[in-house]
Amino acid sequence: MITDQTVFATAATILFFLGLFSMFYSRNLLKTIISFQIVVFGANLALFSSGLGHVSNLMANTLVLFSIVVGAGVEAVGLALIVLVHRAYGTLDPWKIKRLRH
Amino acid sequence: MATEVALLLCAALLVTIIAAIFSKSISVTIIMLFYSSLILGVIFTIYQGVVIGVLHITMFAGAMSVMLLTVVLMTGESKLDIGNRTLAALLAAVTSLVVAASSYSLFSGAPSLPQSTPQQTEGTLAFVWMFRPWDLLILIIIFAAAMIGVVNLLSKEERA
Repeated sequence: MITDQTVFATAATILFFLGLFSMFYSRNLLKTIISFQIVVFGANLALFSSGLGHVSNLMANTLVLFSIVVGAGVEAVGLALIVLVHRAYGTLDPWKIKRLRH
Repeated sequence: MATEVALLLCAALLVTIIAAIFSKSISVTIIMLFYSSLILGVIFTIYQGVVIGVLHITMFAGAMSVMLLTVVLMTGESKLDIGNRTLAALLAAVTSLVVAASSYSLFSGAPSLPQSTPQQTEGTLAFVWMFRPWDLLILIIIFAAAMIGVVNLLSKEERA
């Protein structure tokens, strides 16, 4: 029988791996950050689905809260680094940046 | 019925995420990510996680989208084809779905309302539990309106 928990856990797994796939194959640093956000979405949904079906899901909600705050912080720092990289190299392609460094 | 709502919302979430990943324009990616944040917030809110749902929408659909758009404008990566009918149709479909899901929560009760309602309504966040669906709907309308403004800004950037 399909429950809400199963549906959310499956969606979270798909989101997580889609984000990872996109993170490894993107050729734009902005897209890498966006992919990281998708991975965070997957992790949040997985944590949230783990608390479903219980009368008190405070632990799961607290973990999701923690994950949201940490994810947002990491993303903000990543975006600041992107602006610096763009100023220094004039591109957001990681392969071009690697070549320009040598 | 609750499982159907979960399936529908998860399908919408996956469609927006796939559109975000495989879109060539970074502006479309950010718009799709904004919609996926909204859908995830609606999922949290409908399934007993009101505080994290509202925080998720505020943090990711609000603050993070604005930061991403600022970086896109600063780096000059925005290339938005405002006359793209497929994009407009997709956005309209996703918006309708999100509004329908929150309206379902508003008018017929959430699929699984909090079991321990007395405890939760006695706390300092009582107003969140009392006006939960209205809050959500208002929040979504505000963010959707903000997104229309941002799209307008990006389209002007493209013309210039």
